[in-house]
Amino acid sequence: MPHSTNLQTFADDLAAIIGPEHLRVEGGIFLVAPANNEEIAAILRYANENSISITPCGGGTKQRWGNPIQTSLMLHMHRLNSVREHTWQDMTCTVEAGCTWSSMQFVLAEHAQFVALDPVWPDRATIGGIAATNDSGSLRLRYGSLRDLIIGMTVVLADGTIARSGGKVVKNVAGYDLHKLMTGAFGTLGIITEITFRLHAIPKHAQTFTISSAAPEPLGQLLLKILDSHLSTQSLQLRSTTNGFNLDVRLATLPEVIHTQASSLTALAQGLHLSVADQDPNVWTARQQLFDQPASFLIKATMLPSDIPRIAATIQNLGGTSITQATGIMTASIPVSASSRLASLRQHLEALHGCLIILHSPADTTPITSSSPTDTLPLMREIKHRFDPNHILNPGRFLGGI
Amino acid sequence: MLNQSPEPPAMSKAILADLQAIVGADGIIIERNQLQTYECDGLTALRTLPAAVLLPRSREEVQAIIRICATHRIPFVARGAGTGLSGGALPALGGIVISFARMNRILSVDIPNQRVTVEPGVINAHITQRVAPFGYFYAPDPSSQSVCTIGGNVAENAGGAHCLKYGFTTTHVLALEVILPTGEFVHLGSPTADAPGYDLAGVFVGSEGTLGVATAITLRIVKKAETVQVLLAAYNSIAAAGQTVSDIIATSILPAAMEIMDRLSIEAAEASVHPNYPACDALLLVEIDGPIVEVDLHMQQVREICRKNGAWEDRLAQTELERHLVWKGRKAAFAAAGRLSPNYIVQDGVIPRTKLPILLEEIGSMAAATGLRVTNVFHAGDGNLHPIVLYNASIPGQEEIATDLSIRILHRCVDHGGSITGEHGVGKEKQQALGYMYSEPDLNTMQLVRCAFDPNHISNPDKLFPRPRLCGEKSGPYTPHPLETAGVAEYF
Repeated sequence: MPHSTNLQTFADDLAAIIGPEHLRVEGGIFLVAPANNEEIAAILRYANENSISITPCGGGTKQRWGNPIQTSLMLHMHRLNSVREHTWQDMTCTVEAGCTWSSMQFVLAEHAQFVALDPVWPDRATIGGIAATNDSGSLRLRYGSLRDLIIGMTVVLADGTIARSGGKVVKNVAGYDLHKLMTGAFGTLGIITEITFRLHAIPKHAQTFTISSAAPEPLGQLLLKILDSHLSTQSLQLRSTTNGFNLDVRLATLPEVIHTQASSLTALAQGLHLSVADQDPNVWTARQQLFDQPASFLIKATMLPSDIPRIAATIQNLGGTSITQATGIMTASIPVSASSRLASLRQHLEALHGCLIILHSPADTTPITSSSPTDTLPLMREIKHRFDPNHILNPGRFLGGI
Repeated sequence: MLNQSPEPPAMSKAILADLQAIVGADGIIIERNQLQTYECDGLTALRTLPAAVLLPRSREEVQAIIRICATHRIPFVARGAGTGLSGGALPALGGIVISFARMNRILSVDIPNQRVTVEPGVINAHITQRVAPFGYFYAPDPSSQSVCTIGGNVAENAGGAHCLKYGFTTTHVLALEVILPTGEFVHLGSPTADAPGYDLAGVFVGSEGTLGVATAITLRIVKKAETVQVLLAAYNSIAAAGQTVSDIIATSILPAAMEIMDRLSIEAAEASVHPNYPACDALLLVEIDGPIVEVDLHMQQVREICRKNGAWEDRLAQTELERHLVWKGRKAAFAAAGRLSPNYIVQDGVIPRTKLPILLEEIGSMAAATGLRVTNVFHAGDGNLHPIVLYNASIPGQEEIATDLSIRILHRCVDHGGSITGEHGVGKEKQQALGYMYSEPDLNTMQLVRCAFDPNHISNPDKLFPRPRLCGEKSGPYTPHPLETAGVAEYF
């Protein structure tokens, strides 16, 4: 935090970079809204020289994810909000980081294409923030994560360097994949200003089914059978309910094929004495509802697909609610009353090669430790130090206090 | 003729004894005639004799070797089958080669969770052979898959014909055990999704051996599709075949692979492995896999699109044997170029798919201006071209002209918004071209990563980046690094 005597100087200097109308000072925190890469670079150079800590901010939906920190400058990205190009014949698009997820998808839908990912808060969350937190949802099973969908990126480093990696072609092995390093780095290595995505065609026909059971085990078995089948599964999730569990399946293929595949699904389920019912597609946004419970802990847990039913049962015993994608990524809300058992849950997951990350802690609770990188933490610290030697970018926000 | 490798600077007897103590007398090669096997990879024009080759049997041995390298600042490069085409496994002068020939075990197979863990010396095709009885396969399929190893695939982020639908090596790598250039043993990634922290596995894959050496790799395997069909369509022009590819993509069909070969490549493949291709100016090969009904419907649509674009023959490969033969012809295309010309350079550019016709026209006129022939095979679905520049090294000056032409083709790919390499890697061959594709700030940023992993610049040094650069060196006009001035280090 700059000394108060310097506040006016800093404000004047920042205003000179971006124009006074794009600067506000609130409670000693500078809020700046730059217009382009060059302004961001100038702000970062200035902040770096004066050791002013910075938090980049898109829609602000996930500012509470990661370790709670207070920085001196909030860099708002909303003025960089355009879909710069949608080369639909090549199935790629280049988008500025401050563009919201929904407004990008709206543009892409004109040619029946999309970035095949379903993050939370699509109407408010921005491209940059979603990439920085590596959010993903139910579509990941078929299309992969952001790591597979991002093919190019522009970032501004702490010293103001504007660096690009990747490009505008899907297949490209030239140089290091810096965009993979930036994805999920919580803005601690650089500020993402532009992303190029590979696109997919929006499936013309999809249908959702649900299989219910009081116990998660038979659904876990069915989940593995579906993964091992030839069904055109687009999404597959195990969802806890008040009186048991549901396995949601979305098939996406040609209308002529859906009917045959629905029969195959029914046969698989019947083999386990389960029955299949049609389901409303809005069940795929159920994960969002977990994020709307500020009074509970919100966790992300990872596990092997074969461990999903066991962990889902554990969460239910804690009084929590969980939704787990067949990729082995669980989102769960856990009541504060069970907070003392989160540490042993974390150890249990780690023993199963998974991890537990606290996304959100309710107000006035003791912080719970997330899983940390094991033997790579020194290397990660070294990378952070090389990229941001003065530790101005979201310092302390990341795992291991990076 | 190819130049003889220069005599490497002798490695001290004490260091050799230390290395031998790790791997045993049968695990170290220092005889010149035996070392020659390791002086180059698939890019045979460049050769450097290593000081020694080591054949470790375990991760512990690899770690002990790299610790010695770190202590004495000895450059090292890992080597699998040596099939790389960009000189990625070319030894450094005075450096050592760590061969993974003896670390070739499949360590575990987990069918329900669809993953396998292997040592880096495992041959790509052996993974599919191992999991095929369960109905699975390992998707990345570089043309050399019957001999190339997973360690090399990871280093180069290998692709293949089927990455249009299934993705690249990086898509399939979940976790790695790695010995860092400092000698430390670390785990990158995780057998489960999203390991905590930075995505180091994502950065490591495709880093061409410059960030360390993998000693075990956990990979995703993929359920084999219910059925697969391969279509051969014959055209009078490459442009028509290219338009077909764009039209297929526009219908939202995602084939498993789409390949185009030109007349010269077709003839060479035909002479070499007799795949029974139609004689034509452009051959389009479309493979569609998936549920039976879906594949049937999609293939009908594809055949209509082919005919609409002027295909005068569209033939389905009917049996497994026919399909195998079709692919054998395509995958033999590079080797078959040897039938067209005594020497050739295989290039690996990428362009946005829609730029294909204009780039081909440009390649045609650039080739004509040099008097050399260029034949083309493409992974057309993802815009990855393999122009093969044909030349005769015994004609003075022709090799230089061919090299220059192949690099200028790559520059045109960059000009069209593409890349200098889609799957072969930068290696030693395209270092300067990387400087054409990325600006100084971009490259300096990549250097930050390299220096964090390898501060002493010993892991496959002098590869990938346009000019070797010591960690901590500032960009801009050349200024000697303090270590260089002090005589401690030098550019080589």
